[in-house]
Amino acid sequence: MIKTWELDANFRNEIMNEPGGEHLSACFQCSTCTIGCPIAEIVPSYNPRKIIQMSLLGMREDVLSNPDLWICAICQTCTARCPQDVRISDLLAAIRRIAEKEEEAGKLKVDSVRPLFEKAFLHQLEKYGRLFDMGLAMEYYKGKEGGSFIKGQLAMMKDFKDFGMRMFKKGKMGPKAMFPEKVKKKEEIEKIFEKVGEKEK
Amino acid sequence: MSEKKLAYYPGCPSATTAIEQDMSTKAVFEKLGIELSEMEDWNCCGAAEAEDPILVYALNARNLAIAEKDGLDIVTPCSICYYNLARTDKALREDEGLRAEMKDIDSSLEYKGTIKPKHILDVLVNEIGMDELSGKVEKKVNVKVAPYYGCYIGRPSETAFDDPDDPDLMDRLIELIGGENVQFSSMKTKCCGGPLMMTREDIAFEMARKVLESAKNAGADCIALACPLCGMMLDAKQPDIEKKLDIKVEMPVVYISQLLGLALGIAPGKLGLNKNVVSTKEILGKVI
Ligand code: SF4
Ligand code: SF4
Repeated sequence: MIKTWELDANFRNEIMNEPGGEHLSACFQCSTCTIGCPIAEIVPSYNPRKIIQMSLLGMREDVLSNPDLWICAICQTCTARCPQDVRISDLLAAIRRIAEKEEEAGKLKVDSVRPLFEKAFLHQLEKYGRLFDMGLAMEYYKGKEGGSFIKGQLAMMKDFKDFGMRMFKKGKMGPKAMFPEKVKKKEEIEKIFEKVGEKEK
Repeated sequence: MSEKKLAYYPGCPSATTAIEQDMSTKAVFEKLGIELSEMEDWNCCGAAEAEDPILVYALNARNLAIAEKDGLDIVTPCSICYYNLARTDKALREDEGLRAEMKDIDSSLEYKGTIKPKHILDVLVNEIGMDELSGKVEKKVNVKVAPYYGCYIGRPSETAFDDPDDPDLMDRLIELIGGENVQFSSMKTKCCGGPLMMTREDIAFEMARKVLESAKNAGADCIALACPLCGMMLDAKQPDIEKKLDIKVEMPVVYISQLLGLALGIAPGKLGLNKNVVSTKEILGKVI
């Protein structure tokens, strides 16, 4: 049931002001996005059309706390097929960013480890300019285990023991994988993160 | 192709998990007489994890600007790197304000839009062209292949260089080298689940399973692909998927550059064919 008194009429503008969310209001609810979505095929509750409808109605809390926001594979199938050019894949990313900001402000608990993973990824990038798989996995698992480095390491070894051995045997986890490759002009990368971060605030 | 030199953007997995893609790409271009000059001091494109478009534009403006200084078009073997480079190129070409915003972040992000980023598949088929390639084929690679395109080759439309529903660039290369494409249309462009691998392994494995089992049911000897994340999911993770879902697939997965390299008469070792996780031995036996 929709509780009209809880609707946030400004929610649609909030999304449309976020990069990627601009085309929200063009949706005419045809469901093409959902019919072709590979996630909807696997997870019965997953319905991008419905997320869009709820956003347009202003059901801010329900949308932002919906765990399904975090299982989009950003495959762009919906974007390619939408007759109204809603750009659903980018739109869902825009909604995820609003949810993350809410969480940072202590107003919401995001029900997914995805923000942790993405932050760990970007953190590697900020430090080295390139992806360092090992560092990413270590940081992500530490975060998943509530900030404990030891617990994180144990959980990571459990999950990746076989995979790690397999990669090692193929020469894909040699010395090159143990140390980060670094961009030389580090200051240029640091500038990007510093300034883009500032703009977002 | 007129230019004989391209800026090479290898992407982060090129030194580790997708080393065979990097090796085979370099070997193929060397054989074709096109110089790949690795971009000086390139940075990560942000992959699927940088969700803020402004951050994606900034990271990729730096890379585009590096190649632009040398006046070279960029070629990359990774579909995600390609997508990020291409959407940045497009956004910056169209939006003067955005260009200024980039320059404002740092002078190293100043990009004028005088070059083009391209995906290796696009360069091979549309730039070098089938005529030139067919003249260089030395061997018949007599395999049944499931050509798997995944995302970003045929979609989204602004950056796509092949059909969104039934792409055929890889199909054409496979025919050219004497292979046979199996019936695989419904799976060609379905997402492999890669972006969810670390956060929702259960869903990601189910997505990959569909691709792997369809290829098997279609009678393929191998899957061919052109993206290191797909390679990670379908090849490197295949034993984990088999174990978790209690299935047997044993489907070799190779990069299209590896298959093409075999046809061009390049030694398997130089193409990294011993680096794929699922054994490629049976494929090698079919090169004549
Ligand atoms: S395909 Fe586009 S118009 Fe149709 S429901 Fe989805 S977002 Fe709305
Ligand atoms: S981008 Fe997300 S919502 Fe769209 S089809 Fe892919 S998984 Fe579904």
